[in-house]
Formats: sequence, C-alpha cells, structure tokens
Amino acid sequence: MPLTRRDGSSPIPPADPTPTSRPDPSSPDPEARRAATRLLPPNPESAGPLGRMLAHERDGSVREAILTALARIGGDAAVAALLPHLRSDDAALRSAALTTLQGLPATLAQLPALLADEDPDIRVLAAEIARAMPAGEAAALLCGMIAREREPNPCAAAVEVLAEIGGPDCLPVLEACAGRFASEPFLGFAIRAASARISGGRAPATR
Amino acid sequence: MTSAVPPRATADEFQRLCDFLYRRTGLSFTPARRYYVDRRLAARMEATGAATFPDYFARLRADAGGEVEHLVNSLTVNETYFFREDHQLRCLTSSILPGAVARRVPSEPVRIWSVPCSTGEEPYSIAIWLLENWPPIDDVDVEIVGSDIDTLALAAARDGIYGRRSLSRLPPALVTKYFDQSGDESWRIIDGLRESVLFTEANLIDPATVGAQGRFDVIFCRNVLIYFDDMSRRVAAENLYDALVPGGYICLGHAESMSRISPLFEVRRHEEAIVYQRPEGDAHD
Repeated sequence: MPLTRRDGSSPIPPADPTPTSRPDPSSPDPEARRAATRLLPPNPESAGPLGRMLAHERDGSVREAILTALARIGGDAAVAALLPHLRSDDAALRSAALTTLQGLPATLAQLPALLADEDPDIRVLAAEIARAMPAGEAAALLCGMIAREREPNPCAAAVEVLAEIGGPDCLPVLEACAGRFASEPFLGFAIRAASARISGGRAPATR
Repeated sequence: MTSAVPPRATADEFQRLCDFLYRRTGLSFTPARRYYVDRRLAARMEATGAATFPDYFARLRADAGGEVEHLVNSLTVNETYFFREDHQLRCLTSSILPGAVARRVPSEPVRIWSVPCSTGEEPYSIAIWLLENWPPIDDVDVEIVGSDIDTLALAAARDGIYGRRSLSRLPPALVTKYFDQSGDESWRIIDGLRESVLFTEANLIDPATVGAQGRFDVIFCRNVLIYFDDMSRRVAAENLYDALVPGGYICLGHAESMSRISPLFEVRRHEEAIVYQRPEGDAHD
C-alpha cells in the first residue's frame, strides 16, 4: 500500500513555530508576531496593547490574529480598543474592526453615540453594526437616527438594515423619511423595498 | 377545528429569509427553490410554535434555542458516505496535488487531513481515490490523517465497518477491491487500507490539539464550520491556517465559504471546485 502512516518511531512534527520564529510581538517576522498574539491570554488588560498593535500591523495574518484575540477578550475593553479603527484611513481595517465589533454584545452600549457621530461615514458604519445587535433595541435606535438624520447616505444604510431587523412600528418613520428626502429617488426605492419586506407585502406601499 | 399549520410566507418574507440565510451562512436559495424552503420553514415554524413568519423570523435572528442550526440542518443534507462531493476529490488529484508535490521537501510525505472525519468515510475515500486515480501515488509518499472530537466516531472509523448506504456511491468493483464482507449488510475496509490511515482526536477550536497534528498540504474540513457560532468559526479558521503549510489548500463543503469567515485565505477557483489557499508568500519558518 503506497500510503504511509506514522507510528511511535516517527512522531508528527508539531505545527508550533520553529525556534527561528519564536513568539515575539515586536519581531520583524510576521509569523513570530502572529504566534505571540495567539499566545496572549484573553484578559481585558491585553485589549489596549492589541488595539495599538492593530494600528501599525500591515500583515493580514497578524492583523486577523489580533482581531480574533480582541473578539475572544470581548467586553468594554475590546470595544474601546476597536472603536478608533472605524476612523482608520485603511478601508480593510475599518471593515475588519466593524465585523469584530458586530460580534461583541458590549458594542450595543456605544451604538447611540456612534449613530449620532458628527462624521456621516461613522453613522453609516454604525447602522451596519446595528444589524448584529438585538433587533428591538437596534431598530429603535435606527429609527431615532433616521428621524433626525440630514444626510441621505446614513439614512439609506439604516433603511437597508431595517429591511432585515425592523418591525411594523418602523414603517411610519420610514414613510416620513421618504417624504423628507423626496428628491433622492434611490432612497425612496430603498424605503419601498424595506417597507415591503417588513410588512410582508401586506401593507400599502410607501410613496 | 382549524388547522395549526402556519401560513405560508409571502414572497417578500421569503426574500427576507433568503437574504438572512445568505448573509449568515452563505446558503443561497433562489425563488426556484421556494417549495423546498417553504416545506422546511413550515416544519420549523410548527416545531417552534411560531404562528406567523415575523414570529419565527424574530426567533431565528435571535438564534433562540439554536434555531439557526435547526433550520440549516433541515435545509442541508447531513449524512456522510464514501465519495461524497467527489468533485473535490477530482480537484484534489487534478489541481491541488501537483502543486503540493512540487512544493514539498523531497524526503517528506504529502500530508492530507480530514477533519472532522466522523466515522471515517472521508479519509478512506481520499485514500481509495488516490490509489485509483492518481498514478504518482506509486512514487510519492502520502500521509492521510482523520481527526474528530468524538471518540466513539473515531473508534468506529478505526474499525472501518460500513453498511450498504455508506457504500452506495462506490462502484461494485471498488467495494470488492477495498472491502471484505463482514456480515449480511456490512463491509469492512481491508486491513492494508485501514492501517494506512491514522485517526487522532482533535478539536477544531483548540489550538493545542490542532497544532499537535502537524502541518498539512491539504485539509478537508467539510460541513462543520457552518454549524459553529461566529467566534468559534473565527478561531477554527485561525487554527486551520496555522495547520496548513504556506501554499496549502483547504476544501470546505459546497454550502460553505471561507471568505465569509476569514480573510486569511485566497480563493482558488478550479474547474471542479472552489477551494481556499493559505498564501504562498507568508512562509516564515
């Protein structure tokens, strides 16, 4: 049989890093930085340093290890470490921070502030974060945002999320939004689609 | 007396469900499969006592009682048998192994990992496929490891005894060649083949047990990540990445997508299958 199987005399070589890539968060070798990150205990005290590492890390595999470590730590410390990266100039990092924040229940406490942020891009990202939060609270927060929002893009982001998580009590807010942004046909289309999804196609269409 | 069968979802509700399932799991259902989904949706609504689609959808989104897993289970086929998803086996021999052989250190075997291997059908299928369809097997050492968290399943895999249903996709000539009949309706993998596959215990979300398996050129990890929660999927992806040699491949189930789980891997579209590759360029050891 030309297949081989190891026995006690030829043990499996472990996948741990070799001595040339000893775990070291400041090593020039990405594998050593990744190993160091993966060996960190998931303590809240690690969140701050991990967040700072994230800002400078350019290697995708190390960045992913940092994000996973923060997700394992969870809680307010991890959320605080991730929030600044929503403002990063690096689109991949913004997106990765958003995805990780979505997985952390503690993000909910920050959602009102994010939805009211002065930067409309942050409000757009905050709407997407809301998608992963408990539906009732998130929908109420998104409706509040839509009601006071002056920019069409954050409204559109919130409407798209409400199409998934919204209930019938969101429909009046959506209808009012369509009226306020009557000159933005894409928003009217999005609101009609969301309203149909929410009502199951049983409610009269919003204009 | 009125029927307790929940009302059928409207077209908009059906689309809302499909959007959610696609975003959450990668499972994609077009309106052409409406009937298929409707039947399973109705069964889950009845099982959970949901009177309306909105009631059920709220339960699904909150994953109350593990409802996402229950629905996904009902929408996917959950059985294992020899030569399941054999398009990936064709991909293994036509597209993956030539590169793995070129990359390997000449004195080292090409290593293939089946995880979770359940009762062994997949690793034995890989072995039979290679013996039958890959001529370089006569010159290249190949090591196949099957791992699972379930020690009872591993014991059954080592025993290598299967019923007619497990063998249903194997040509009779291969059953004759690689199995001995062990009962009226049971067949046992021949000794030489059983002794050529190593079975070990491993938990995909435990870096220590994954690391203990060494590094692999190819990993088959099919139809398990879809059932993990987001955090476990993420950790499993990290562990699988570390278990691959740079340039190594991972094969997932047809309904799974690594791109939805982790950015660590590059998508490789081959004629027979979509597989995922640890980038070649990140060899640091």
